[in-house]
Amino acid sequence: MTQTAAQRFLEDAAVKSADLVHREIIRRGMDSYDAAHLKGRARIKDWEAAREKCQEIKREAINHLDRYLVQFEEKVVARGGHVYWAANAEEACTYVKDLALRFGVRTVVKSKSMVTEEIHLSPALEKEGIKVWETDLGEFIVQLRNEGPYHIVTPAMHLNRGQIATLFREKLDPAIASDDPADLMAVARRKLREAFFAAEMGISGANFLVADAGVVAISTNEGNGRLCTSVPPIHVVVTGIEKVIPRLDDLAVLWPVLATSGTGQGITTYSTMIAGPRQPGEVDGAKEFHVVLVDNGRSRLLADAEQREVLHCIRCGACLNICPVFRHVGGHTYGTTYPGPIGSVLTPHLNGIKEFKHLSYASSLCGACSSVCPVKIDLHHHLLENRRNAAEAGVTKSSERMIFRMWRAAMVRPRVYAFGGWSMRKALRMLYALGLAGTVVDPMRVWNRYRAPVPLPLQSFRARWRKDRAGN
Amino acid sequence: MPETDNAQTKQMQTGNPSRERILERIRTGLRVVVPEQPRTQANSERVIFEPITNPLDRFQQECVANLMECVLTSDFAASAQHLAEVLESLPAGEIFVQDDPALRRLLEPFAPARAIRWSNQGAPGEASQATVTLAESLIAQTGSILVSAACGGRGASVIAPCHIVYATTAQLVPDLATAMSGISQQGTFDRNSFACVISGSSRTADIEKILVQGAHGPRRLVVILQSGA
Amino acid sequence: MSRKVSLFVPCFVDQLLPEVAVDTVKVLRRVGCEVDFPEDQTCCGQPALNTGYWGEARPCAEHFVRVFKNAEVVVSPSGSCVSVIRLFYPELLAHSSLREDAISLAGRTFEFSEFLVKVAEVTQVGASFPHTVTYHASCHGLRELNLRSEPMQLLREVEGLKLIPMVRSEECCGFGGTFAAKFADISGAMGNSKADSVDAIGAEFVTAIDPSCLMHLQGILGKRNAAARTIHLASILAQQRGAGSSPQGLAEEKP
Repeated sequence: MTQTAAQRFLEDAAVKSADLVHREIIRRGMDSYDAAHLKGRARIKDWEAAREKCQEIKREAINHLDRYLVQFEEKVVARGGHVYWAANAEEACTYVKDLALRFGVRTVVKSKSMVTEEIHLSPALEKEGIKVWETDLGEFIVQLRNEGPYHIVTPAMHLNRGQIATLFREKLDPAIASDDPADLMAVARRKLREAFFAAEMGISGANFLVADAGVVAISTNEGNGRLCTSVPPIHVVVTGIEKVIPRLDDLAVLWPVLATSGTGQGITTYSTMIAGPRQPGEVDGAKEFHVVLVDNGRSRLLADAEQREVLHCIRCGACLNICPVFRHVGGHTYGTTYPGPIGSVLTPHLNGIKEFKHLSYASSLCGACSSVCPVKIDLHHHLLENRRNAAEAGVTKSSERMIFRMWRAAMVRPRVYAFGGWSMRKALRMLYALGLAGTVVDPMRVWNRYRAPVPLPLQSFRARWRKDRAGN
Repeated sequence: MPETDNAQTKQMQTGNPSRERILERIRTGLRVVVPEQPRTQANSERVIFEPITNPLDRFQQECVANLMECVLTSDFAASAQHLAEVLESLPAGEIFVQDDPALRRLLEPFAPARAIRWSNQGAPGEASQATVTLAESLIAQTGSILVSAACGGRGASVIAPCHIVYATTAQLVPDLATAMSGISQQGTFDRNSFACVISGSSRTADIEKILVQGAHGPRRLVVILQSGA
Repeated sequence: MSRKVSLFVPCFVDQLLPEVAVDTVKVLRRVGCEVDFPEDQTCCGQPALNTGYWGEARPCAEHFVRVFKNAEVVVSPSGSCVSVIRLFYPELLAHSSLREDAISLAGRTFEFSEFLVKVAEVTQVGASFPHTVTYHASCHGLRELNLRSEPMQLLREVEGLKLIPMVRSEECCGFGGTFAAKFADISGAMGNSKADSVDAIGAEFVTAIDPSCLMHLQGILGKRNAAARTIHLASILAQQRGAGSSPQGLAEEKP
């Protein structure tokens, strides 16, 4: 029998949450993010107003998604670009693959894009014998390791410099002596320079699609996104339909908020706007410009009015960074393209509630994610709604359903409740007196695995209250 | 009926069979309206960013924070002098310069000593040691330079290890909002397929969150900022 | 000023941590409240609600509303349970005949520290607790009810109490109700991270406004044989000078 996603998650979570080396690497990384994020927020006079403004922009865009997408498309087409609408991963991959084959593309350079991870674009191209280079340093590192990104903003944050130096020695150059991050970056830069200038196609994602200007906005710090969109003769943008925003002016608030939430910067180093292919008289730029708008389940989520705002997400990673579950299990444990709170909300919609409902339960509902989300997505309450939807769809365990039916019967009958509590305490006290705590007969054994037994007082509060009153 | 035919023809022509299907699904989904949340205070009344009172001071401060060099010069001669100093500090090799009369004058003294590739001869090559360009505007709030395709092309601000921008204080705008509305009003994208707000030298923090200056783009970003127009 | 207060004691406090409720009553009476405990109360419904069984949570919520609907003010020593009543009852009972009562009750139900500071407007309750204490900001009190300063204001007025700030005090302790059972490994790891933060400070006590966090944390600390003990805010405020009793941590039981 093959392992389900839920079983795999439980197993990996057990391993990772006990891995103290991993915990330390992530904690150190998150501590430096926390400090930068706080400092960044302090630079914005009214952070709450900024969040509300961004929420308002995205809400307007999503609530008129059809209109803004068509407006964006018209502008791009008018400048000689192409817009392709892909209903699913297969359509998107086929389009890009056919394009590559039509132009005889042998090498592709890619700038970071979570949507291309979602649709598994690189494997589709590699199957055709096309070499695909990830050019963001973090993505480059995880590509060399044949694994997916650990985090949507910092894909290789689970590795320390020593591990990366070893990897580079193995895969790139056995002579690499230093494990200094600057030296490792220099190695990657040299290697990828060749790729940038050899590639016939650059593939990027998009942070925003600006409807009124027909502009694709891409934020990168390294400049790899710039090179992918400047040097190769073909530029393909692969992006989700939810990335559209109404106006160019909106970037004046979205850019600083994205950067603050993503890394704590005031603005990302290269906030790039591409409005189409190279125009007459221009020095450089791709002659072929294609935008692939990917639906892949997004329109289905749109129809769920309660959770429509999940499409507001700008993929800043703030909810991952603050999430105590993410901090303990790490990004790969989720087994999904999008890890962390946003992934746990989104994945059941994109990939099915039956297989991925467990992610919505893998949260203490602490709400830290919602409190940092720069577009104010009510993430933890959406996790709760996913749980409710799972229970209503009847995909939860029948034993659990039975327990809660019994629970309900007790909770509306105070005497049954009081008797139940009393007998439970008495039974546990006897069990523990016999030294059976934590054994198979202990109903609290899961609790007792990591914790001392709960206190088992002789009297409940209500019993003491009644006695107290009787004494008066 | 003719409309449907038209749409179908268009789909066939563009090879875009899913376009109408996706749009239809979006429209169907949006029929369930999400109630607009009441807000306690109208957003327009709230000031998100601290207003910029002294753009020049702010720009200079932000340049430091963004790990870029900004040198304030008093006139053209001083700008030329500073440019000379920066170029002398660079390794031998070609430099790429935006083909612009002011930059031609500024670069004249170097023409014999250094190979110059002007932007009318094509994009900068891999071997370029530096690029020299103008900017569309400078943004005080974020310490940014706004470049477009007209500023020597897309590669001019990213390919070489050093990017030198020659600008005047008259090009300073206080904030991003002003810069973005400037792009819309001046029709920057009617003439350009590209623009970029550049805020510092290229960098990464992908390894242990440690900041490394100089990733795939320039390690140095130098702004020679001349007073006056 | 005498004020009638109806006490809601969360089910697990009633059954496992009665001392928290006893101390809540003590403090409320000391600040002049007349405390009533409606004996038909059971649970707010959170276990079912948070596991997704809203159909099961609903009758429980209705029962709660019926029991408390005539109360002037409801006070409970649990931010988590109060957040269920305040945030979720109106939605949960949207189609119930008790909808209006639920909405009204949501506005009259307060967490213990919130009630003292915002409603009764007292921060000095005459408590004395000469110990070092660190504060864990329980998630639901903090983020669902926005209670950030209220517990602090109360703690600062306690005679002899030395408050030591905790690193990452706003990070979840890992309890999360059924989460602690469904994902015991993650919950345990989170609890141990929290315990690391507590250990690092070396305070004698860790306090909070949510007894569920404290019960979880006490279990983790107990398993580690840690020196620090947990104590609910109400139990600190209940301590008075010369009362002669030693402070009661959650793990202990009065004979």
